[in-house]
Order: sequence, then structure tokens, then C-alpha cells
Amino acid sequence: MKRDNHSTFLVAAALCVASLCIIAISVASGPRLLNPFSMDSETCRILLTLRLPRTAIALLMGGALGASGAILQGIFRNPLADPYILGISSGASLAASFGLMFGISLFTLSVPILAFIGAIATGAAVVILGHGWKGLQPERLLLAGVGIGFFLSAVLMLVMTLSVDDGLRRAVLWMSGDLSMVDWGVLPVGLSFIVTGLGLALTRRRGLNALTLGDDIAHSLGFNPTRERLFLFIAASFMTAASVSMGGVVGFIGLVVPHVVRRHVGSDAAVVLPLSVVAGGTFLCLADAIGRTVAAPLELPAGVIAALIGAPYFIFLLGQRKTH
Amino acid sequence: MQEMVSMTTLEFANVSFSYGPKIFMDQMSFSLAEGELVGLLGANGAGKSTLLKLAAGLLSPKKGKVMVGSKAVGSYSGKERAKLVAYLPQILDLQAPFRVGELVRMGEYPQEGSQPLSVEEALRIVGLQGKVNMHLAELSGGERRRAYIAMTLVQGTSVLLLDEPLASLDIKYQFDLYRLLKEIVRDKGVSVFMSLHDIGIGAMLDRLLLVKDGRLIAHGDPESVLRDEIVQDAYDLNHSIGLYLATNRTLSRALAVAGLH
Repeated sequence: MKRDNHSTFLVAAALCVASLCIIAISVASGPRLLNPFSMDSETCRILLTLRLPRTAIALLMGGALGASGAILQGIFRNPLADPYILGISSGASLAASFGLMFGISLFTLSVPILAFIGAIATGAAVVILGHGWKGLQPERLLLAGVGIGFFLSAVLMLVMTLSVDDGLRRAVLWMSGDLSMVDWGVLPVGLSFIVTGLGLALTRRRGLNALTLGDDIAHSLGFNPTRERLFLFIAASFMTAASVSMGGVVGFIGLVVPHVVRRHVGSDAAVVLPLSVVAGGTFLCLADAIGRTVAAPLELPAGVIAALIGAPYFIFLLGQRKTH
Repeated sequence: MQEMVSMTTLEFANVSFSYGPKIFMDQMSFSLAEGELVGLLGANGAGKSTLLKLAAGLLSPKKGKVMVGSKAVGSYSGKERAKLVAYLPQILDLQAPFRVGELVRMGEYPQEGSQPLSVEEALRIVGLQGKVNMHLAELSGGERRRAYIAMTLVQGTSVLLLDEPLASLDIKYQFDLYRLLKEIVRDKGVSVFMSLHDIGIGAMLDRLLLVKDGRLIAHGDPESVLRDEIVQDAYDLNHSIGLYLATNRTLSRALAVAGLH
């Protein structure tokens, strides 16, 4: 067990070092390369109003998605579960797109707030529909989420076909996980919900481990499976809703990051959850930095880059698993 | 001569249960003493798994009481119950994404650091010492089941409920697991109550319960339960299996001579 702890510590330390390096690269890179040794007022302005908030929000969004994916894969006992399979992103997208396309902009935070409300309302609807006579069963919850997700996506398509051109473009960008429009304003609310969700998940980490073995074993270990699943679902919903509301829909991180983390440090939720936060945040930060430099001055959405890098890596990992 | 007084660890008192309006289990009464290895036999659908789930508190009786220690199993908090009764279902997630050490450490959850057995000791008992860092998927089917049993040992309960623990294991792993359970019962004073479909293994246990259609039709030592007419009735057989039972008893005695029983 000592070797186990030792290797986990080494992986965590390596990840933190990589994370710090990528944060530094993300802050410095962009259409204009920032040099920390020659800071003028324009450089400071770019740093404080563009790069730092963007990097911080990418870290938070990716971290929240990584942890949500780890939670949902555990409570559904399904390696394909991710924060978007439950319709939460569809609810957020519909509400935010409604605001973007029909010009509902009473104040600057109206789109994030609409997205958050849409995500939480969808999460609540999934829980209500997913609750059967045996409590919150994974299969029923999953089916409720997929069903609601498809319905909301269909409504979203309908709304998009009825929208004006400019609003449509902005909505499509938002749904691709575009971080070019973020600023400090969305940070406090997003941060508070992510911290709340992560804190709640960490207090239920043992329940998450037990649920991964099935409800009967979780019960035998003294847990109430329905209660644990509900708390963990709320935690994942909070983090996903906060992430989507800050910068739109970024796919793939919630699916792939927990798998990569578990591959290196095992599956104990006490380790997987915090490391999924660090790995998810770092990965999105990297994707965003690449997205805004690789085709500059054109900016590619971070969500698109994350999927373009993540998918081949994921397939590579699957290939490796097959050969072992 | 000093009389041995064994404490009752699990008791069914006139327990009735139904999944719907139709009564499935009626007026079931029996008890389990400390340090006993008791088998539960019966045809498919006779009520073996239901009975174990009632004992584990996963199902609640419609009438009567399932007592664990001094109280009804349903009256304990989850954590209190988990200190007294551990249950392993028939279908275990043998592909669970955990390392052996991570899995076995979960047995510590109810006890919060005051568990009577360490993870290392439990792994030694089940013969998995040195495999703490291996992934469950890297072990054989028998070793994975033993890892789950190690988790319940760390849980430190006085009652261990096992639903078909020997199913899908080949004869070597069946005997390994059987011997392990005998040791746990003998050395730790744990009461093990397990369902079986192998009459041959049943012939080796301390006591047997035979159920049919949710009713207890026979219980006692294997010699008295595994009689031709009783087993024919339990499994709806229309021919004698006396030779089969006699062979199993002979096998059981042969294993005893070989030190397996």
C-alpha cells in the first residue's frame, strides 16, 4: 500500500507541475505574446482583463467537468456517462440560446444566469422523472436524462431555425465552448457553485466508491444508495451548470479526463475527484491556449480543440488497454 | 461437563414477505448461532435470495421480525447495521475499476478506524497478500470473490450473508473458498449464512435450511436434511436421487480425511 500511495503522490505532483506550466503558457500566449519581464500598461491591461480571467475560467470549467464526469461515471456505473448525457447541457443550451437569439440581454450576466437556471431546472426534472418505487435507480435516471436531453435538443433546433442570423452565430459559438467572450463578471457565481458542488462530492466520496460496486454492496457498507446518489447528482449538476453557464458547452472533458486519471491513480474517489479537477482544468486551459494561437487571429472554440485532441488520445488509450 | 452456550446472531420470527399482493414467504422462523456455517438450499425461485436480502435489511418483512443482535435489522441506522451484518450479492461486479487494496479498505467505512481486522490481515486470511496494488481485473474469478470477502472481514461483522458465493467457480476455487469460510467461522466466531445450489458442498456444512416456494421445508444437520424424499420434494424431482446423495456424503467424508472438510 505504501507503493500505491507513493505512486499516487508522484502522479499528483507531476500533474500539478504540468498544470502550472500550462497556466503560464496560457496566460502568455495569444495573438500578442506577453513577456513577463517587460510589462507596460497595455500588457497589464491585456493580462488583467483578457488572459487572467480567461485562464481562470478555463481552469474552473474544465475542473468542474472533470469532477462531474468522475461522479456520474461512478453513480451510473457506466464508463460512458459524462456531464452532458443527462440533458443538463441541453437545458443550459436551450435557455442560453433563447437569450442569445432573441436578444434577451437585460444585463451583462443574463446569458450565464439563463444557462444556469436551464441546467438546474433540467437536473431537477431528471431527478423527478428518474425516481421510481425503488428510489433513484441508475438505469431509470439515465433514461430520464437521455429522454429529456433529446427533447430539449429538438426544441433548441426549432428555436435556432426561427432565430435571426447574428443571434444564431453567437449561439452556435457558445454551444461549441467558446471562451472569447468571458470576463471576471461570471467568475464569482460560477466559482461559488463549483466549490459547493465539489465540497459536497468530497463529503460523499466514500458513498461514491461504494455505489461503484452496486447498490446492494453500498447498502451492506451502511450507505443509503438513493440518498448518496441524489447528493452526488446534485453536486455534479451544480458543477456542470456552473461550467456551462460560464463558457458554454465543452464536450469530451467530462468523459475522458476521469478515465485518464483513474488509469494512473486507481479509482478511489478521494484521489480521483481532486485530480480530475486539476487534470480537467489544465486540459481545457491547454485547449483554449491552442485554440487562440494556432490559427491567429482567428480563434477556434476551446471545446472543439478539446475534442480534437482528446478523442485521438482516448482511442490511443483504448488501443493500449487492448494490447495489455 | 461444561455446556456450550452459543449466542443467537440472526433470527427470523414468523417472517412473511410479498413482492406484490401475493404472499411469497410465509411464517418463516429459524435462528443462526454464533460461529455457525449454515447453508441455504432450494430450487431456483424458492426464495433463497429473498431470504438473504431480508436478513441484510435490503427488504422489509410484511409481518414478523428479522432480528440481528437484540433489535430488528430495520431499526438500526445504516452504519450501525453495517457493523453487525455484511452481505455479498450473487452477482458481484468482478470488473469493478478498483485495486485490491482500495476495495478491501472500503470495509473500514462503517467502523471508522476501529475495525477489528486490518486490511493487511484480511488479505492474508484470504490468501491475497502481496496483491494489494493489483487491479481486480488482473485476478482470477476466485481471487476476486476472495477480495470481496476480505472487504467484509475488515467490516468486522458478526453475521456474513453470502448469496451463491461458490457459483461459477471451478472445484479448486470452490474448495479454497469453502475452507476459508470454515476458518473464518472457527477463528473469528462469525456466523456465515450462504445460499448454495451444490448439494455436495451442502453436505459439508454445519447445518442446512431447505426452502421451497418461500417455505422452510426442512432444517437441521446435513444428514437429516439431505434425505431422498425431502430433496425430491424440494426440487420437484420425480425419481430417486438416493445414490447421488450417498455419493455426496461419501465425497464429503473423503474430503474430511483429506483435510478439506
